[in-house]
This record gives sequence, C-alpha cells and structure tokens, in this order.
Amino acid sequence: MAADSFVQAHIDYGAVAPMLIVFGTAMVGILVEAFVPRASRFWVQLPLAIAGMVVSLVVLVTISRGHEVITAGGAVVIDAPALMLQGTVLVLSIIALLAMAEPLGTRSPDAFTQSGASVPGSPAEANAVRLGATSTEIFPLTMFAVGGMMLFPSASNLLVVFIALEVLSLPLYILTGLARRRRLLSQEASMKYFLLGAFSSAFFIFGAALIYGFAGSLDFDAINKAIGTNGGMDGLLAPGVLLVAVGLLFKAGAVPFHSWTPDVYQGAPTPVSGFMAACTKVAAFGALLRIFYVAFESLRWTWQPVLAIVALLTMVIGAVLSVVQTDIKRLLAYSSITHAGFVLVGLIALNTVGISGTLFYLAAYGFSIIAAFALVALVRSGGTEATHLSQWAGLGKTNPLLAGTFSFLLLAFAGIPLTSGFVAKFAIFSAAVGHGATWLAVVGMAMSAVTAFVYVKVIVLMYFSEPAEGTAVVTPSALTGISVAVGTVLTLLLGIIPAPLFEMTQHSTLFLR
Amino acid sequence: MTHLGGAESTLFWFAAPLSVLGALTLLFARKAVHAAMGMAMTMILLGIFYITEQAEFLGIIQIFVYSGAVMMLFLFVVMLVGVDSSDSLVETIRGQRVAGLLFGLALLALTISGVARTTFPSFIGLDKANASGNVSGLANLIFGKYVWSFEVTSALLITAAVGAMLLAHRERLRPKLSQADWSRRRIREGVNVAGLPVPGVYARHNAVDTPALLPDGSISELSVSRVLKARGQVVNTQTLTAATEEFEESTGDSTQEEGGQQ
Repeated sequence: MAADSFVQAHIDYGAVAPMLIVFGTAMVGILVEAFVPRASRFWVQLPLAIAGMVVSLVVLVTISRGHEVITAGGAVVIDAPALMLQGTVLVLSIIALLAMAEPLGTRSPDAFTQSGASVPGSPAEANAVRLGATSTEIFPLTMFAVGGMMLFPSASNLLVVFIALEVLSLPLYILTGLARRRRLLSQEASMKYFLLGAFSSAFFIFGAALIYGFAGSLDFDAINKAIGTNGGMDGLLAPGVLLVAVGLLFKAGAVPFHSWTPDVYQGAPTPVSGFMAACTKVAAFGALLRIFYVAFESLRWTWQPVLAIVALLTMVIGAVLSVVQTDIKRLLAYSSITHAGFVLVGLIALNTVGISGTLFYLAAYGFSIIAAFALVALVRSGGTEATHLSQWAGLGKTNPLLAGTFSFLLLAFAGIPLTSGFVAKFAIFSAAVGHGATWLAVVGMAMSAVTAFVYVKVIVLMYFSEPAEGTAVVTPSALTGISVAVGTVLTLLLGIIPAPLFEMTQHSTLFLR
Repeated sequence: MTHLGGAESTLFWFAAPLSVLGALTLLFARKAVHAAMGMAMTMILLGIFYITEQAEFLGIIQIFVYSGAVMMLFLFVVMLVGVDSSDSLVETIRGQRVAGLLFGLALLALTISGVARTTFPSFIGLDKANASGNVSGLANLIFGKYVWSFEVTSALLITAAVGAMLLAHRERLRPKLSQADWSRRRIREGVNVAGLPVPGVYARHNAVDTPALLPDGSISELSVSRVLKARGQVVNTQTLTAATEEFEESTGDSTQEEGGQQ
C-alpha cells in the first residue's frame, strides 16, 4: 500500500442530515451561550432547540426516507427501523424539551439550578438566584444527547455504537446533577449514574474488543458473517456478546443492571427523568434490536434464552419492588423497569411482529411517561417538589384536572383498554405467544396485574383520602401544557386508533445489512 | 506468541510484570498518590509496548497524552484534595467486597477460558499493517473508514467542556471591584476610611497571622485575614507580649506603659 491509498468514506448527506442538523443546533446553542446576553438566552435557546429538532424531523420524513443506505464507511445505517427510531426520538424529545424548559414565569428553566457550581444552600447560590443567573446550557446539552440517541440505533459498527452511547450518556450525567431543588440528592444521583455508566461502558468496550478479536472487524455485517465461518474462535464470541449486552441492557435499565434507575430518576430534575425514561429507552432498545438482529443474528438461538431470563427478571423485580415504593418518582422508575421487561419480551420474539410491537411500545410508553413526569414536577409542597406519596393524598379534590390526567396516564401504564398501553402490551404479548414463549406472556400479564394494583393504589389515594397539608399545584405555562396535552392525547389516540402508527412500525421491521 | 524475537520477549517479560504491578498498585494502594503513580507506570509501560510493536505514533501519544497530561492532572487533583486523604475502606454493604471479588474472578475465569480455547489464525504481520507507514496507516483509517466516529467524538469533547464549566466554573455575576472602587466605598460609608488595620508588629514577629493590639491591649479582629481565623492559624499574642515584657524587665526598660499593659 502506498501513501496515496487513502479512500475517502462516502457520506450520503441526505441520509445523515437529520443527525447533522441536531448536532449543528447543539453547537449553535453553545455559541449562543457565549455571545447572547444572559437575560435573553432562554428565549433564544428554547426556540432554537425546538426549531432544530422540528427541521431535523421534517428532513427525516421528506429527504432521508429516500436514502436508505449504509453510509459513512459503514458507520451509519439508515434503514426503515433506524428512520422509525430516529423519528420517535425526535418527537419524544420535542415534547420532553418543552416540559424541561418550563420557566414558571422566570427567565430560566424552573427545574434546573441557576448555579450548578455553587455549594447547595451556600451564599453563592443565593446570590446567583438573586442576580438572575441562568442554566440555559441545558439546551445544547440536551441537543447533544438527542443527537447521540439518534445515532445509537442507526450505528452500524461497534465503535460508533460506543461513541453514540457516550454522546447520549455524558449530557445526561450532567443534566441529572442540575436539579434546582434537593440538590444534594441530585448530585448524588449524577455521581452514581456517572460511575455505574462508566463501568457499563467499560464492559461494553471490553466486549467489543473481544468481538473484534473474533471477527477481525467491528462492522455488524462482518461480525454476523464471521459467526458462521470462524469456527475455532467461539471462545471469544460468547463473552464478547455477553459483555456488549451488559453495556446496552444497563442503558435500557434491565435487571440485573437496573439498580441505578430509581436513584437517578428520583434525583434528576423531574422532566429530565421523563426525558431519560422515554428517549434513552427508545435509543437503547433500538441499538439492542439492531445489534441482536443484525450483528448477532446467526447466534439468535444462543442469546434468545439469556435475554428471555433477563426479560423475566426485569418484569418481576420491577413490578414487585414498585409495590413498596412511597415516592412517586421512584414508583415511576420501578414502573419503567417493568416496562423495559415488557419491551424485552417483544425484542426476543425474533419475528416481525415482535419488532413492530417493540417499536410501537417504545413510542406509546414514551408519550405517557414524559407527560407523567411533567405532571409530577408541578406538585409542590413547602417550596420543593412533593414527591412523597402521602403528599399526593386528596389531589383529586384539590386539583381534579391534574389528578384526572395523571390517573389516565397511570391506567395507560397498567394497560387498561382505550389507552395506548393496552394496545402496546397486546402487540408485545401476542408476539411472544406467536413464537411460543407463552410463559413469558403469562408472567407479563401477571406482572401487569401487580403494577395495576400499584397504580390503582395511587389513584385511590388521590381521590379517596383527605387532602394533604401544604400540597399545592403550580400553574404551568403553555410549554408544560403542550407537553402534557400532546402526551395524554396521543396516549388516548393510540389506544383508540392505533392503526396508523402500527402500520408505520410494521413497515419498519426490515434491517438493512 | 511463539514468534517473539529475543529482544522483544526479554522486554516483554521484564515490562509485563511491572505493568501488572502498577495496575495492582492502583487497586490496593491506600494513598491516592501511590495509586496514581502506579497507574502512570502502567500507562508508560503500555506506551513502551506499543512502540515495541512498531506502533510508534500510538506509543508516543499514549505516553504524551495519558501518562503526561491526564495522569499529571490526576496528580494535581490529588494534591488539591490533599495528599494525605485516603479512601475509606469501610464496607457500606455487607459482603460487598467478597461478592465483588467472586464476580470479578468469575469474569476473569470466563474470559481466560474463552481466550484459551481459541485457536487464532495466522497474523497479518506488522510489515503489511505498516506498509504505508505507521502514521499514514492510522490517518487513512481515521480520516477514511472511521471519519464519522472521529467527527462525532467532537460532540463528546464539547459536552465534556461545557459540563465541566457548568459544574465547576462559577460565573462572575457582578464586575470585580478595583482598589479605587474599594477606596471610594470606604470613604462613602465612613468605615475604616484609612483601610483595615495592618497585622501587629512585635519584637520578634510581624507576620500576617499576628493580630494587632488595640490601645486597651485586646486584639484587633480586623487585622488578620478571616481565612486564617477560620483555619485557627492566628498566633496567640499573649506569648509574644509576654516575651517582650520579660525582655524589658531584664533590661530595665519600662516602656511597657506605652502599650497600655498596666
């Protein structure tokens, strides 16, 4: 090879444009932080971020759909599942960002501290609040996370998967530590998330190295081809697959890699918990789908039983532990673990019904959980968020609108008919029955009943107890209003007329290799 | 592993145990500085391995960036936190260490058994891998096949920089007061118009940690920095004045009335 053997990677810009737009918006957001006066940053950053995501979505739907290719030197693959997942991430991120931006009449997002560097409760913090410091850096950070989430399910080699994993995680670690209230809890959550996330990344890269040793390539397609041919090297493959799965299942919040979820969801600013529960799950399951259906496809009979056990444990442990929770954010966290178990049931079905069910479930759950966390952020007591369940007592009498909406969302989580939760669960469990894992479907339904008990307990508490002392609901601006309204209406619509989204997911099951 | 050259295998068997030793130091050293130094040693030895494998560029980068920049930053942080600080070795979860050890050994056994069962195909060889030169080969990969990964990494770096600023940099919200501003403010408020009292001057002592004495013999709180006061590093003036008095007594000088020490 001579020095002039450089081969430029061809990049199909039509295919990757949505990601480039999101990353570009994030970088413009950084410049806004540098050059726009503090007082007007909020109203520059918010429209910029929303516009970036909307434009990205429009480009995705109009241009990228015609560019289904493996591009950028085999790093990125834009195919039907990737487009579907990227679109889901974008739509969910838009409504999550609206809830995160809620300023409550100020010029800074209300859920975020105005001075992340100050010691909680210090004079420096009080000063920052008095002088109107802002933390509008959260907008570019969120955009970077969204970019990573879009890249994660469309990455087509293990190196890009790893980088996308970090690009989506790093901003989330930072956002988690920036809650305005109960800051010590928030910083502790951020620290735990960062350390555990770093460990899981280490596992992932260890696994990727073993797989590279096995296949001699990081590309999914090459790995899959090598599985059939590299006979003597299976000793590297099995640990490699397991370690890669650890890294991905950690992000998805599946048992036994779930222990960070309750602490982080509780400590993070409440709308960020919603963002993580919805969008991170979409991205993580999207990457799981692609890796297990493309890179490890020839091994499917080997990994399927392992993931079936993980799915079983995830459903059971998430559901059982949600029964004893007394904090609404922890309760929703354990509920999200259970939901991760349900999604895994769809993922291991190994048929197109399973893939489309998984995609549908991720979207449906995302809309509901963003709205639910946005509502939790509004219930206050004594200047801080009222997250203890006892503080939610009697909310149905003092604020029927919030309690009614929240109850509806809880019923959707439980999978009651006429909500998106029912349709999603039906799709997942019918896929499981279809490939012969009836036992998983039975366990799933039993666990749905257990979680339904938990949700009904909360609803009963809201409607049939005396109102708690000191609990008040703040009136949000239109931002949270739109976010909650879109989430709730879609939860209802997807329960009544699921066909349009279902058709989209059914057309999005063919992976490009 | 069979076709290592003589010099190469000598180097390997000399440096490999040392690098493992460095890694173990990181795990078991009680003091943070020792752990960091152990890690730096492992990093440097890894760089040497790379260079031996004719990956000179990677080896130099490894030593420059990791051992040089990153590890030295680590050491600075350790020094800022305090060289003496050591990890608390109390288990907060009972049996955690044993469980961790068992799982770690299980992972080790799994990986070693996997690698041991593997029959590796013949290697491509360094000559072929480095055909167009080591650095050019790397460049061809980084800016060719892996250009997307390379570019996306920039998002990671920007996030890290912004995150560090957000979590550690306290923005200056008000303009910094200059000496003239302070002076104007003192005149306006009429308090300490001539500035704060300077530290005390004694026969054998005039450092900033010695408070000045007021006419009634008590110490002036304003004359020492509040940082020193908070640290408890303010000198007790009693011993200083006592020494002066003793000295004056022995020389017969009776200027003690001047200080108001009746």
